[in-house]
Formats: sequence, structure tokens, C-alpha cells
Amino acid sequence: MSEKAPKRRLLVAAIVLIAILAIGVGYYLWVYAPAAAAAAKIKAGYIYVGPIGDYGWTHAHDQGRKIVDEKYDWLDTVYVESVSEADCPRIIDKLITEENCDVVFTTSFGFMDATIEAGEKYPDKIFFHCSGYKRGANVGTYFAEFYQLYYLNGLMAGALTKTNKVGYVAAHPIPEVIRHINAFAIGVKEVNPDAKVYVVWIHAWYDPTKAREAAEALIADGCDVLAFTEDSPTVIEVCEEYYAKGQPIYAFSHYSPMYSYGPNVTVSGQLVHWEVVYDDILTKIHDGTYTSQNLENVDYWWMLHEGAVELGCDFGMPINPKFEDALKAVTVTDTKTGHGTMSVYDLVMLRLEQMKAQPAHVAKVENGQLVWELGPIEFDPFTGPLYDQDGNLRVADGVRLGHDDLWTMDWFVDNVVGSPTG
Amino acid sequence: MFEDVAISLKIAVEAGTPILLASLGEIYAERSGVLNLGVEGMMMLGAVVGFATTLTTKNPILGVLLASLVAALLSLVHAFACVSLKANQVVSGLALTMLGVGISGVLGRQFVGSPLPVRVAEASIPGLSDIPLIGKALFSHDPFVYLSYALVVILWFVLYKTKLGIEIRAVGEDPSAADAAGVNVALVQYGCVALGGALAGLGGAYLSVVYTPAWIENMTAGRGWIAIALVIFAMWDPLRAVIGAYLFGGLEALQFRLQQALFFGYRIPVTLLGSLPYIATIAVLVFASSEAVRKRIGAPSALGKPYFREERVF
Repeated sequence: MSEKAPKRRLLVAAIVLIAILAIGVGYYLWVYAPAAAAAAKIKAGYIYVGPIGDYGWTHAHDQGRKIVDEKYDWLDTVYVESVSEADCPRIIDKLITEENCDVVFTTSFGFMDATIEAGEKYPDKIFFHCSGYKRGANVGTYFAEFYQLYYLNGLMAGALTKTNKVGYVAAHPIPEVIRHINAFAIGVKEVNPDAKVYVVWIHAWYDPTKAREAAEALIADGCDVLAFTEDSPTVIEVCEEYYAKGQPIYAFSHYSPMYSYGPNVTVSGQLVHWEVVYDDILTKIHDGTYTSQNLENVDYWWMLHEGAVELGCDFGMPINPKFEDALKAVTVTDTKTGHGTMSVYDLVMLRLEQMKAQPAHVAKVENGQLVWELGPIEFDPFTGPLYDQDGNLRVADGVRLGHDDLWTMDWFVDNVVGSPTG
Repeated sequence: MFEDVAISLKIAVEAGTPILLASLGEIYAERSGVLNLGVEGMMMLGAVVGFATTLTTKNPILGVLLASLVAALLSLVHAFACVSLKANQVVSGLALTMLGVGISGVLGRQFVGSPLPVRVAEASIPGLSDIPLIGKALFSHDPFVYLSYALVVILWFVLYKTKLGIEIRAVGEDPSAADAAGVNVALVQYGCVALGGALAGLGGAYLSVVYTPAWIENMTAGRGWIAIALVIFAMWDPLRAVIGAYLFGGLEALQFRLQQALFFGYRIPVTLLGSLPYIATIAVLVFASSEAVRKRIGAPSALGKPYFREERVF
């Protein structure tokens, strides 16, 4: 045996070892480095209260999720549908621990407390809760608001009713719905001071059977224009059936484009663009503006100006062309902003532009506290004088209602018939 | 005013039809001595099967037929448990309701919110629909309402005027005597329970295919239970069931009209209005629960008791 043999063997061993190490490191870099480079990738989880196939709330949120998911390469999204309030904490855990979500959106008022608790449990994750009022260092809130649209729908309803009875099929007697009914009634009154808005509560967000019965009851009582808060096109379908029978009843679609369910009867409606809100939130998380430390005062309450909502019964169709002539035939005088006498059609367009031009409400942080201030808007529906059903002056002439008054509203304006307590 | 009453009656008839169909079936089941508390579950299954079939085939008749068939099959589970295995009818019936509600929820998940592409049109009966008040209230409906009229008459006739009806009633009154007279007790009970299932399924499908039309989880919303109470209200008579069904249906649908009404200056609370059908049901149950009343109004004597052949009766 040569003296050199062990040395050579050592050298071979060292080379093999280095080769193995090199392959290992190379493999590691090849597999994991891209992931490390793309560490800024965000995974967002969505928790829905209903099935994504409903025709309202959950469907609209899921459309928003899909749009942002497709728009950004750095974004991955997952969702869980039909989650009950009791199941929410478990689903949040699952999204964070199993799906490794960085951000969780909880899209129902009933998920509020579960979201706040999850925020404390996972302090380095980000949460956003829709429609609630509780926040935390890593829990923000957001909402797309319809009251401006309901007001515009009210202007049209006031012009179209012949019986001076406008019906409203309402879901639950909570401030949000009461605010929308009032905005609608304020619009009706501006065009037609003699018309009244008749409210029927069905005590459900989604119940086509009750919505149908309520709509039929309102029609039987003489209402010839209907608006509603319920997540199905049932009211529109009822109106279309009456139209086919020779008794035209007109309606305003709610939340989703429902024009196709009643092309002869759907005048306009309310549409949402949740993707606008989701886009803003996720972009700001991605660029580091929002972290798990600074969401205490982050609240979105977005309307026409921000592009979170759209007037119409189908995207891009603010008013069904079929009703243009009827709305142009009725003239009113703009007593609120002094633009003279014009048709209701022009008034709707004027108000739409006024409300799009400026924000209605602006969030500010004062002394570490979130404060909603009135925006520099030329016109807002909730401007005094406003009277309640008993004839009391609730909002003085020229005074505007702010965020807190609108979010706690529990009274009806004077041209609403029905009880605000359900 | 006159027109108003006619419209209210029309709404009451339509809202009462699913309850009427289900209680007609339950009357037959109970007349044969089998109490089936699974009506709610069978209605729910009928509703989802009817809706899903109509949605996919665009054929409401096929949808309603399949709904009846599937609900009848489900009711056979109850018949097997109670007639063949002599199980406790209350327990088996409750299990059937839970089963039906659960299955329909799972089956129907993908259909929630889907609009139905076809509609069952209203078909006024020429001539009859021109009669003031009655015409609008009774003869301006969809064909399924007329079918329910026909079923009431046929089922009443069969029960009281035919040999089959006597056999059914005999089985429900005294199965051993009926057995001795050569009636196949088990066959009659199986048949009546299956008929009950089919009619409950028809009632559920009417709700999801014709009346609403849409599928929503839990959409029968207690109508099955009201149908069972209605059987007692009607004293096991198909003709009397009509009055009860339209009364209960009317209460349910008209609460929305009463929301606007003022009584002596006071508005009736909506929650009270919504609970009226249930209050009426409880009132009827309380009234009908005493043994004396039960005997007098003709409750089937053997109702709820399993029949054991050759058992000694004291």
C-alpha cells in the first residue's frame, strides 16, 4: 500500500462531500430562493356568511375577490362560504394555520367579535371586518354605502308613481336599512311631496317566499313602485309578472344587476364594486402602508365619489332607457342647491355628478382617535330640515347628518308609513 | 274594498295550497293508524328535488312528479320502521324530519339563489273566473291549485264512499278486526304512508317551483308542522282541511298587509302577526288533546299504536 493512498482517498472524500454540499445548496437555492425573493406575496382569505351563488351580498363580495385576485400576481386568495356566526372563529383559525393567510376578510356583521378576538390571538396577521364598528391594531373595517343611490332611486320613484304610494320590502330593522329607507323617502319627497313610502318588514336578508308575499301585499294596497332590501330578484320578478298581466308595477334592483329579471319594470337600482375597496386595502398592505400595527383608525365608508357603488340596474346603465322619456316629462325645481327648474331625469344626473365630485364623509385621526367629518360635497340627502313621523324637527334647516348619526339611525322621516322598530 | 277582499282570498288560497296538500296526505297516513311526524322533512326534500329537477330539465311537471316520488320513497323508510319493525312512530317520524331537512340542505347548496328559467303560468278558468269575488279568489290560479281542489274531492270520496276507504278507516280504528275481515293491514298502512309522502313532496315542490319560486335552505319553514296540526284541526276529514289550510295560509301571507293597518290607532307588532299561525296551531292542539274531545271528533283509535298480529287484546 502506497503512502499516498489515504491522502488520495481523503481528497476524493472531500470532493464528494463538497459536491454533495454544492448540490444541496444549489437545490435549496433553486427551490426556495424564488420563494424568498417573492416574500412579498400576500395570501388573503375571505369568510362569507352566505353561499357565493346567492344573488346579493356574498356573490358581490366574491366578484370583488376574483377581480383583485386576477389583477395582482403577488396576490393569492382563498374563500370559505356559508359560514355561520358560531363557526367563524374555527374558520379563521383554519385560514391562518392551515392556509397560511396573511390577511383575512370577514364579510358579515355577525363576525365582528370573532374577528376582534382573532386579531388578539394572531397579532402579526391582518384582519378586515365588513360593516362593523370595532377595530384593533391589526383589525380594520370597511363598508360600501348605498344611501346616495337609494336617494337617487327615490327621485325616480317619486316621478313614476301614479297612486302616490311607493312600497319598500325591507329586511331587518337595523340602522343601515332604516338609513336607506329614509334616503329613498327623502328622494321621493323632493320630487313628489304628496307620495308616501310604505314599509313592510320581512325579517330576513334572503327569503324569496316572504319577499314575494310582502311585494304582493304592497301591490294589493295600491303601491305602484317598489324598492327593496333583500338578496334575491324576487320583487323584480313579481313586478314583471304584474306587467305581463297588464298592471305595470316598477321596481329598483338591489345589490346585483337584476335588469335581466324585469327589463320592462326595472327603472334603476344599487350596484356595488367591492373590488375597489379590496384593491385599495390589499395594495396598501402590499406596499407596507398598512401593517399589523396601524389599523386602529382604518375605516372605509366608501360611496359614489370613491367608486365603490354605482347607480343602475345593470353595470353601465344608470337608468333603464325605457324610462328616460317618463322621467324627462316630469319637471321639478331644485330648491336644495339652486340649479333652477329641470326634468327629474336631469335632476338625477345633476345629483349624481354632485355626489361623485366630492367625498360625502371624510375620515380623520385626531388625538389618536378616528373621527368622521362632513366632506366638502355640494349636496347630501341627509340635510335638514328633516322631520320624523310624529312631525318633530329632527334635523334643523341646513344642518347635515354625520357618520355617527347615520350609523345609529332609528327613526323614519315623515313621509314613511310603517314602524322603524319592525 | 270588494276587489281587496278578493285579492286577499286569492293570496290565502295560494299560500294555503302547500299546507293543504301535505295535510291531505297526513290525513290518509293517520287514518290508517300511522302517525308520521316527518311531514316537514318530506316537504323539504320535495321542495329541493322539485326545484333541482325543474331547473335542470326546464320541465315543472317532471319536477313535481319526481319530488312526489322521492318524498314517497323517504316516507317508506318510516313505513318500514313503524309497520314492519313496529318501532315507535313518534321517534321514527322525528328522525324522518331531521333526515329530510339535512339531506335537502346538502342537496340544495348549489341551487341557492339560482333563478328558475321556467314558470308555471296562471290559468284562469273561463267563465268561472268571471264570478264576482269567488272567481278571483278560487278560479284565477295556476293548474296546481286546481289539482289540489280535485285531490280534496277525490280523497274525500275514496275515504268515505268506497270499499278501500272503509278498509283504510277500519285499519286505523281496529287493525285486528280489519285483519280478521281479510284486510292486508300492512299493505294498507304502507300505501297510506307512501301517499302521505307523495303529497307532502308535492306540497314542498309547489312551494319551490310554483309559489316562490326559488330554493332556499329551510324554505318550508314549519309548514310541515302546521300541516300536522291541521289534520287534527280538520278532524281527519279532507273537506274540513281545506278551510283550515286557507285560514293558516291566509294568516301567514296577510301578516304583510296587516303591518300597515292600524287597529284603534295602534299598530299590531309584526312579531305577533308572524306568530299567529303558530298560536292558532297551539290553540287547536290544546283543544284537541283531551281524550274526550279526541273520541268525539273521531281520531283513529289505533293511531300511533303498532299492530302486532295475534296479540291478545284485553
